[in-house]
Amino acid sequence: MNWTLFQPELYYFMVVMVFLTVSMLNSVSVKTNYYTALISAVIGVAVCTMSLRVNGTLFYNTYRVDLYSQLFKLMLAVGMFLVISVCNKLKSVDDSRHPEFYLLVATATLAMMMLTSAVHLLTIYICLELSSYSLYILVFLRKDQETGVNTALKYFLTGASASAVMLFGFALVYGKFPSIYLADLVESIPRFIDQPSVSIGMLLMLCGFFFKLGVFPFHFWLPDTYEGSANETTTFIATVSKVAAIAIMIRMVALIGGNSVYLIKVLIGISVITMTLGNLCAIAQQDLKRLLAYSSIAHAGYVLLGILCMSPNGYTGAVFYAVTILLLKFTCFMVVISISKKGESPSVDQLAGLHRRSPLLALALMLALFGLAGIPPTIGFSGKLLIFTAAMNNGYFLLVFIAMVNVVISLYYYLLVLKAAYLKEPVDDIQPLHVPFPQKVLTTALIITIVTIGIFPTYLIDLADAAVKYLM
Amino acid sequence: MTTTAFTHPSVLAAVLTALPPFLAFVLIMLFLQRHRVLAAALAIGTSGLSLCTAVYLLVRHGSGVPAVQYQAEWLVSGNIKISAGAVLDPTSIFMLCVVTVICFLVQVYSLGYMAKDPGFSRYYAYMAFFEGAMTALVLSPSLLQLYVFWELVGLASYLLIGFWYEKFSASEAGKKAFVMTRLGDVAFLLGMLVLLSHLGNLDINELNSAGVINALSPGVLTMSVLLIFGGIIGKSAQFPLLTWLPDAMEGPTPVSALLHSATMVAAGVFLFARLFPLFSASSTAMSVCLAIGTISMLLTSTMAMVSRDIKKVWAYSTISQLGFMIMGLAAGGFVAGTFHLTTHAGFKALLFLCSGVFIHHYNTNDIFEMSRMGAKSLKIPMFFIIIAAAALAGIPPFSGFFSKELILMQLSGLDNPLWLAAGVIGAILTSYYSFRLIFILLRPGANMGAADRSIRTNSNTHGHHHDSRSEWLMGLPLLFLALVTVSIGFFQDQFSHLLSPEATADAAHAAEHISWLPFLAVGLCVSGALWAWVEYGRRGSAQIGIAERLPVIRALFAERWYMDKIYRWLLDHVIYGGVSRACATNDKKVIDGSLDSFARGAVDSGKILSKLHMTNIQAKLMSAFVIILLLALYSFFEA
Repeated sequence: MNWTLFQPELYYFMVVMVFLTVSMLNSVSVKTNYYTALISAVIGVAVCTMSLRVNGTLFYNTYRVDLYSQLFKLMLAVGMFLVISVCNKLKSVDDSRHPEFYLLVATATLAMMMLTSAVHLLTIYICLELSSYSLYILVFLRKDQETGVNTALKYFLTGASASAVMLFGFALVYGKFPSIYLADLVESIPRFIDQPSVSIGMLLMLCGFFFKLGVFPFHFWLPDTYEGSANETTTFIATVSKVAAIAIMIRMVALIGGNSVYLIKVLIGISVITMTLGNLCAIAQQDLKRLLAYSSIAHAGYVLLGILCMSPNGYTGAVFYAVTILLLKFTCFMVVISISKKGESPSVDQLAGLHRRSPLLALALMLALFGLAGIPPTIGFSGKLLIFTAAMNNGYFLLVFIAMVNVVISLYYYLLVLKAAYLKEPVDDIQPLHVPFPQKVLTTALIITIVTIGIFPTYLIDLADAAVKYLM
Repeated sequence: MTTTAFTHPSVLAAVLTALPPFLAFVLIMLFLQRHRVLAAALAIGTSGLSLCTAVYLLVRHGSGVPAVQYQAEWLVSGNIKISAGAVLDPTSIFMLCVVTVICFLVQVYSLGYMAKDPGFSRYYAYMAFFEGAMTALVLSPSLLQLYVFWELVGLASYLLIGFWYEKFSASEAGKKAFVMTRLGDVAFLLGMLVLLSHLGNLDINELNSAGVINALSPGVLTMSVLLIFGGIIGKSAQFPLLTWLPDAMEGPTPVSALLHSATMVAAGVFLFARLFPLFSASSTAMSVCLAIGTISMLLTSTMAMVSRDIKKVWAYSTISQLGFMIMGLAAGGFVAGTFHLTTHAGFKALLFLCSGVFIHHYNTNDIFEMSRMGAKSLKIPMFFIIIAAAALAGIPPFSGFFSKELILMQLSGLDNPLWLAAGVIGAILTSYYSFRLIFILLRPGANMGAADRSIRTNSNTHGHHHDSRSEWLMGLPLLFLALVTVSIGFFQDQFSHLLSPEATADAAHAAEHISWLPFLAVGLCVSGALWAWVEYGRRGSAQIGIAERLPVIRALFAERWYMDKIYRWLLDHVIYGGVSRACATNDKKVIDGSLDSFARGAVDSGKILSKLHMTNIQAKLMSAFVIILLLALYSFFEA
């Protein structure tokens, strides 16, 4: 067995062990915790970068390591680094709980990394549950116990229901083909795809990932969880967790979707409802995090649009879109964390005067929102363009049209947020926002990345293309 | 014919002609707004450079170097190719020389005329901009490039007419010129699109080739040619879009000399000459052009007969002469039309510049007023203006005689004698109104009481103070133009030979047929001049013209045949009252209404939907399960 294939996972397992140890000690300061986490995240990015081009299978073919999984692992590592980099205050989590916070973040990341490589139904299930359970506890982990319990319970109930449905789907498929290796299913499923037990089984299987990604009808947890958990936790769920969900969605659909007409139709319906619902609900939100939650739901709809094309172009678009969501959503949440005074969930009005309090953050927010709305020259434009082009190539003109209308609707509430940040006069305090120097560097880097990839997306598209080739 | 190298000396010269004025414009606008001397020096310097390269091109290609065309692909879309570059053939080189010579002279003249104007630098910037655009227009090898610069000279014209923008009438006149020429340009654009959609190419050389012309069906050909002629009507102020040009006289006089008589308005005629083979291919279109030219010529001649504003007289005369050129071209006389374009540019610029001296000196545009203040004491300009008027009237040996005779000859070759008759009447009227003005200026008479105060230039703010240096600067260009006016007629043969060797033979052939034509031409202009003498120049004459004796006719002529009134009515009742109102209503009710209701619907449904999300977890989970169940059931219908 070639252990080098398993390097990133081993490294993150080690990180988990470190924080497990630390959480049992009492003497470690908040600062030390933060820097330990930050440094280990940076090393993690390096480890994932190094193992980007390795290739092979592990654990009796239940675990596949290829460019596709390694690319997503890199994204997850970068995402974890970004999230930890804004955890320097961690205002809404009790100081003594910080080691546990990092422990759970690392565990969730590890589980998600394994999820991207899993090609065995049970492995998938275990990884998914491991990451979900880490998140349930993360959500619960905040000073305000009552909110924490409330939110975590809602999240857990929805998640548990979704897993139950997914398990039922696994059972149906396993009942038909006595195999739980995706490789076997790939061969058998296309022949029986028209049988209700198979197609329903497939649909139910996907429900678990719908939950992760926040797709209708398993999207209910998103607004409550986003609003109710610590800002840093929300950031993690909105970025890293979404990337992992997209990764496994693409792999499942690509491997066993088998161009089932039924599945495509269902996915089309779900995609349209998801994006429309997300965008319409977002209009009515006053709370910034709730607004971003509904925006996440809408973006899940766009991603689904790329995936349901079941063509390499569509998958490339979806992979690209994962990067887009990671960067843009993170930038938005970074602003949320910065303007939140005591770790509370800020309202849209609280952005008032941001362009004077911190022009850099306001600029970053503007670019991120423009990117989410798909306005060039941001990375968001390239992402939407790829997905819409793929859909057009498949002849889904009406679908693209609906998506376009949705983009227009979404522009409305993104601009409302921008209006608050740029045009609204703050009610009382207009003292400048203190942005530490490292965060300034990070923000500038994000701005440059968002615009640069928007103008020169070729490298990333090629990488996504190459990764998608390993799916087939 | 086509060269791809930029190293060709002619191409380099062409670039050096067109590019420096643009650079001068940018530099003046950005850096030299406050440096009057530098701005003028830069503009005149680049103009001089353009003049030198133009003359170099004339000499080089005049001595037998074949025509050159340089093109680079600018836009490719499907099978439509748009190229940009420069074409150097006799037509473009002649026009280039005319443009650069007059530009240079007018800019030197302006040193005196505009000396005290606060917008001196801005004036030279616009002038340089105009020169760049006009030379690039002349050099264009494709219709699209020509169109781009056609619009840019239109912009320059707008800026220069409204140069004294603080004067309400000036800015109004600028707008009027812009809008009216735009009407024609829309037709021009449509014509180009028709050609483009049928040929996929707008290269002028190809449009003129027999193969392309044969490839078009006659209907399409006539339609596209007539649409392009619409652009010519707008730019050259022909009927029915002619009323903007008299109003354009609100600009400074040198501007009128340069843009609104010698060069820019001649761009329309130039375009006609450029596309002459294409136009000739459609006899219907040629007849329409002939008719439009004739109507414009006669109409504006009558207007010139009663005008008291010296610049308006020359403006009407410009339209009339442009109409005359179009008549010549439309009658098949390529050389006749272009030659008249060249001679006209010379003497009309001279007329305007001389008038500028009078206006500068007496601070009025009213000829009677000028005369009363002693216009004839300004000996030198008086002398030059008489030469120029004689050329305009067509008295030998001045340049106008030769070109006019050519056109009359061409008209006499047509089957229908009506055209020749119209030409003859036009020639008499031209002679009449030119000498009417001269005699009025020469003889301060009894008609003073009626001095029309409304046409005094109210240019006190632009202080026309004169000193000897400025008059000297204004005098030199006059002298040069007068020399050109006197001499250019004798180069008719060389001109026609260079321009089109075959046509010379034709012309000589035709001349044998009608040997009486020169005498007719001389007779016409002399009789016109005599008529003017009887009414205005004769000792004891009342200085009231025949047209002025009949109030109805006088009003008709003075009100420009009520064209402005008719346009105003049409504008108010048809455009504003009908079309605009319908569009505004549509915009407000249909477009805004539907968008607003869509937006309101989105917001309202968003509120309802997000309220639905406020329920407890049981309801949410239940609905999720129900939806999944329904989706699962759906598979039985699909499979």
